[in-house]
Amino acid sequence: MNIDNFSDVIKYCRFCFMCRHLSGIGNVTFTEADTPRVRASMIYGATLRPETLTNEDLIRTMYRSDLSGACRRNCVHHFDEVGLTLAYRADIVEKDAAPEAIKAIAANLEGKPEWTVSGEGKVAYVADKYSIEAGSADAFAKLASGYQTVKDGCCGKGLYVLGFRAAAKNVAEKFVKVLADTKAETIVVSNPAIYDMLVNTCPELGIAVPAKVMHTTEYLAGVTGKNLGDIYYLESDFLRNYNNDYTFPKAVLKANGANLKPFGTNDEESYSCAEGAVVLDKIEPELIEKLAKYIEARADHPESDVIAVASPYTKVQLKKYTSLNVKTVEELLAGI
Amino acid sequence: MLPERNSYMYEMIHTELIDVLGKEFVGVRDADRFGHSVDYYWIPEMWHDRGMETPKADFICHPGCTEEVAKIMKIANQYRIPVVPWGGGSGSQGGALPVFGGIIMDMKRMNKYYGVDKESMTVTCQTGIIAQHLEWNCNKEGYSTMHLPASISCATIGGFLAHRGTGVLSTKYGKIEDMVMSLEVVTPTGEIIRTLPVPRHASGPDLTMLYVGSEGTLGIITEVTLKVHPQPEKREFRAYIFKDFHTAMSAGAELMRSRLQPCAIRLYDETETKTHVRKVFGMDLDQGAYLVFGFDGYSDIVDCQMRYAREIMENKYHGQDLGSKGGDLWWENKYKFFYPPYIFHVPQAYGTLDTVATFANIEKVYHAMKKVVNENFPQARFIGHFSHWYEWGCMLYARFIFEEDAVPKDPREAVALYNRVWDMAIKAAIDNGGVINEHHGVGLKLGRFMKYLYGPAMPVLEGIKKQMDPNNIMNPGKMGL
Repeated sequence: MNIDNFSDVIKYCRFCFMCRHLSGIGNVTFTEADTPRVRASMIYGATLRPETLTNEDLIRTMYRSDLSGACRRNCVHHFDEVGLTLAYRADIVEKDAAPEAIKAIAANLEGKPEWTVSGEGKVAYVADKYSIEAGSADAFAKLASGYQTVKDGCCGKGLYVLGFRAAAKNVAEKFVKVLADTKAETIVVSNPAIYDMLVNTCPELGIAVPAKVMHTTEYLAGVTGKNLGDIYYLESDFLRNYNNDYTFPKAVLKANGANLKPFGTNDEESYSCAEGAVVLDKIEPELIEKLAKYIEARADHPESDVIAVASPYTKVQLKKYTSLNVKTVEELLAGI
Repeated sequence: MLPERNSYMYEMIHTELIDVLGKEFVGVRDADRFGHSVDYYWIPEMWHDRGMETPKADFICHPGCTEEVAKIMKIANQYRIPVVPWGGGSGSQGGALPVFGGIIMDMKRMNKYYGVDKESMTVTCQTGIIAQHLEWNCNKEGYSTMHLPASISCATIGGFLAHRGTGVLSTKYGKIEDMVMSLEVVTPTGEIIRTLPVPRHASGPDLTMLYVGSEGTLGIITEVTLKVHPQPEKREFRAYIFKDFHTAMSAGAELMRSRLQPCAIRLYDETETKTHVRKVFGMDLDQGAYLVFGFDGYSDIVDCQMRYAREIMENKYHGQDLGSKGGDLWWENKYKFFYPPYIFHVPQAYGTLDTVATFANIEKVYHAMKKVVNENFPQARFIGHFSHWYEWGCMLYARFIFEEDAVPKDPREAVALYNRVWDMAIKAAIDNGGVINEHHGVGLKLGRFMKYLYGPAMPVLEGIKKQMDPNNIMNPGKMGL
């Protein structure tokens, strides 16, 4: 089973409370089950009684983790409870035990239209649904030129986090082929989930990505001259917790006169609305609303603060459930 | 007596709880009930590890305000249902385990932060707030609770109040009971009361202190006002190696008798210095006992105190100076001991024989416990450090560890072995002037020692419990009550 690759996590996380305060879902549902310790402990119990591995309650719990990776970042030894959760989901799918609702979400992702390519240039910009909806794609268009736009398909990340690894690989291969066919030397993405897919998940699935991959904030690192003033920046889980504290979003904001103010009370919690879980908004949307309200409650001046995000997904969720003034980094750089 | 889960009476009670809290906040899922059935006590962890069923609550209630807590208490009294308060579930004494089923009152939804009163330098919050979240909130306003235990990331303020918790800066800033100003409490019969607003008064016995340390047996603490402190201008540590534990203990006690005001002192015995300190800090320490202490406050006062402390350490007790770097290393890594894989874990069997005593008795307690463990359980290791130092004595954080192959495979035999160690070691501690314990609490683990500890005073505690909780619904089976 896939969870066997995480025996160290099962061994250690089930006895450890040290990241309890960073349990994104646990902090809004208040239940112990929604913490890394109890998830690891339940998986351990299921390994003793394999017939309980497909227990309906266990499955539901494992599919509502926010997968922020804040626990792994906080951990002295970086035990990968996120990896354990993803492995469990893959095992559930391989046993054909995924709930019908999860299967339906996966089928929807798999059935998304093919990516379309337009424009010309040595750079391919990936404009997924969130990047378009959050305004990142339009902002990027104001800041860059001479690039191809790869638009509107599925990269496989959602399938991967749901545990449909074979389908994820299949979809990702098609996505990467589209990128390869552009012959672009650089692939630029606004959505950190796609960045992580190309940088980490594709190699894990045995898929070679044909060009250098950058988040837009890295590509736009040379943009300067703005006077952005006071900005609260909300970290992307994928960029910070999955990709070694990727520094470009904050660097480009600072280079454009941003006075980065600390959001909330700390820089350890996830304030992304479950970005790492990619499609939790389709599984239990009320949890996304709770996470958004949790973030809103931590703003210094909810009505007036300018809040920057590197994740279009986070902007879309915060706009949906709160009145916060959220802008993507691209929008701020473009003066939108 | 609780009705069967498939009975209509169970559903009647379930309905009443939902009427108070709403369906979302009355957990009956297997996952929720399991999550509240194992805390940080070794026995339930081992029990689960061996594939045994852990006792579970029937309902996991998440109240959002004091009035909801009161309503649930009235329902519980009506039906004589046990109520077990639950904070972070990180207690090591089994104090929050629902051993007789009933209701778990998970307090974490009551996590409101009401802010710092800058004039009085106090902070008020609901007790379900995780201590780290409270500390972060205070930090944002420029203050600190100075309550910084290793469990800060998981335990709630209510949990610390219930068990008389202690943080690493206890020597200067005190235990939680020294920090608390006043409480709001829901009594076992569902009344909401407030204790007096200040901790120093002459208006009779202090009700606040009746509830602090009562481990949920006398009511549920729902709100607290605590002292806060400004962040110090400077905090500096210094470490020494002494030739042996006795010399290091003498130096530490002298430091406290000098009435200098260190914020923290830690002393590790020779065994723990060689194993844990070396492993966690990566320091080359082969022999001797490691002592670290620190001061905080205004820079020149810190420097002055440090100068006097160094004279004690170096001139009188000839400690080998590891410098401020050797001390700061401890401060920076103070929680690292508690992360896996450094922390002990099942399938090892381990326990913290937390005992507190005066300086006149503390070494006797240490040697008596060590002798008992070494002579009766040669398969176990005994290590110890001295964690929380006061003007009159300190706390012994003694630990025993059985490696996996020394722990019986049968879970019942494992429990029996485990309890034998506690029985012998705790009695040895009490017989030598020790008190169980300094900050972990009593819970399920140590309840059976309460009569031995309190002697003829125990009926006083029993009488209070009987008067306040006539139906004995509050955390039954804990604290020997």
